[in-house]
Amino acid sequence: MIAVSFEKRLPLFDLRADFSVDKSTAILWGDSGAGKTTILECIAGLCRPDSGEIVLDGRTVFSASLGVDIPPRERRVGYVFQDYALFPHLTAEENVRLALPAGEKRKAEDYLERFGIGGLRRTKPGLLSGGEKQRLAIARALATEPRLLLLDEPFSALDRATREDTYREFLTLRDQLAMSVLLVTHSRAEAELLGHRILELRDGSVSEEGS
Amino acid sequence: MIATVFTLAIGLALARLFTSCRVPFLRLWEALILLPMVFPPTITGYLLLLLFGKRGPFGAILAELGIQVIFTWGAAVIASVTVALPLMYQSCRSALRSVDRRLEDAGRTLGLSEARIFRAITLPLALPGILAGVALSFARALGEFGSTLMIAGNIPGRTQTMPLALYSAVEGGHNEEANLYLLVATVLSFAVVIVAGFCEGRSVPPSRYSERNSR
Repeated sequence: MIAVSFEKRLPLFDLRADFSVDKSTAILWGDSGAGKTTILECIAGLCRPDSGEIVLDGRTVFSASLGVDIPPRERRVGYVFQDYALFPHLTAEENVRLALPAGEKRKAEDYLERFGIGGLRRTKPGLLSGGEKQRLAIARALATEPRLLLLDEPFSALDRATREDTYREFLTLRDQLAMSVLLVTHSRAEAELLGHRILELRDGSVSEEGS
Repeated sequence: MIATVFTLAIGLALARLFTSCRVPFLRLWEALILLPMVFPPTITGYLLLLLFGKRGPFGAILAELGIQVIFTWGAAVIASVTVALPLMYQSCRSALRSVDRRLEDAGRTLGLSEARIFRAITLPLALPGILAGVALSFARALGEFGSTLMIAGNIPGRTQTMPLALYSAVEGGHNEEANLYLLVATVLSFAVVIVAGFCEGRSVPPSRYSERNSR
């Protein structure tokens, strides 16, 4: 479970996030530039809130008042970036293996097989399609065995046909994963299709929309 | 070659420090590193002579340790490193800055330490730009004349570099020897320019998904 309650001053407005996600998939929905990515970055530890706290599975990973700011590498938060941020000089297998302790080559292969890209393990990201890149990015994020999975607009780079297929794959994965997932999108339809809950980000504040 | 190794180590370390940490008076430090690029070489040489001479701040310390620098091959290396460092530093800085910060952030979320991120992600991606810097610095060190003459002299077999040897050959009327140096310098410089261009153009390939599909 993740409990988020923080404020972050942005150049144009103040961002307030106050919500929790518990072993379900929550969709953070809002217009472009509303601050959705900043919220994910604060949770992952890539960006520092100005006040408040973030508690992950009972462990305070950030608290402005207590002076706690656990670095991203110790938070165990899986992050799928909007452009996937795959390492272009490494093969698909090496991308996943980097997230694993040394010597767990077999495990990297297992993750790739699980996401249907086992045959592409020696392929570099530049040669993968949008859908394959997305699967690789999710496989890599899950290889760290995170307590929370963050996905930043994971379908925005896909064409419509691929997106329909990937929605189905994501729904299957969502039901398999017994973990908290926070997915960001600017598409209302996507939010309604993919989430157990919708959190709306408007005017710098997050509010629950219901299930 | 030795000068290039030192230049790479110093240039890369400084570029890494200045691109990843908040360094006070950054512009001032950078101006100091880049100064030999705009200084006339003889003035750089004279400055080195003041610093590494027996009464200079570094020279005095080295003299205490029994190390004589001036008019040795070590002085030629110091002169070459000083004049080549601006090129190496600028190449390394540009190469490190060109690496997408999101990739380093991705490494952080995967649990990697900063040292491992640098080794496994930043350095390989910046390598073409760094190698271009190595080629350019090597060429600059190879062509160094003025400051080497000031601090290391022109002692055949000890501190005489190729430009100094060519100068001596022309002055002594040994045209064949001078022509040989000209040929070697031309071939080396040509190779360096080609290598530098190849390295700079060899950034991470763009998406070739369409290429794969068209096969």
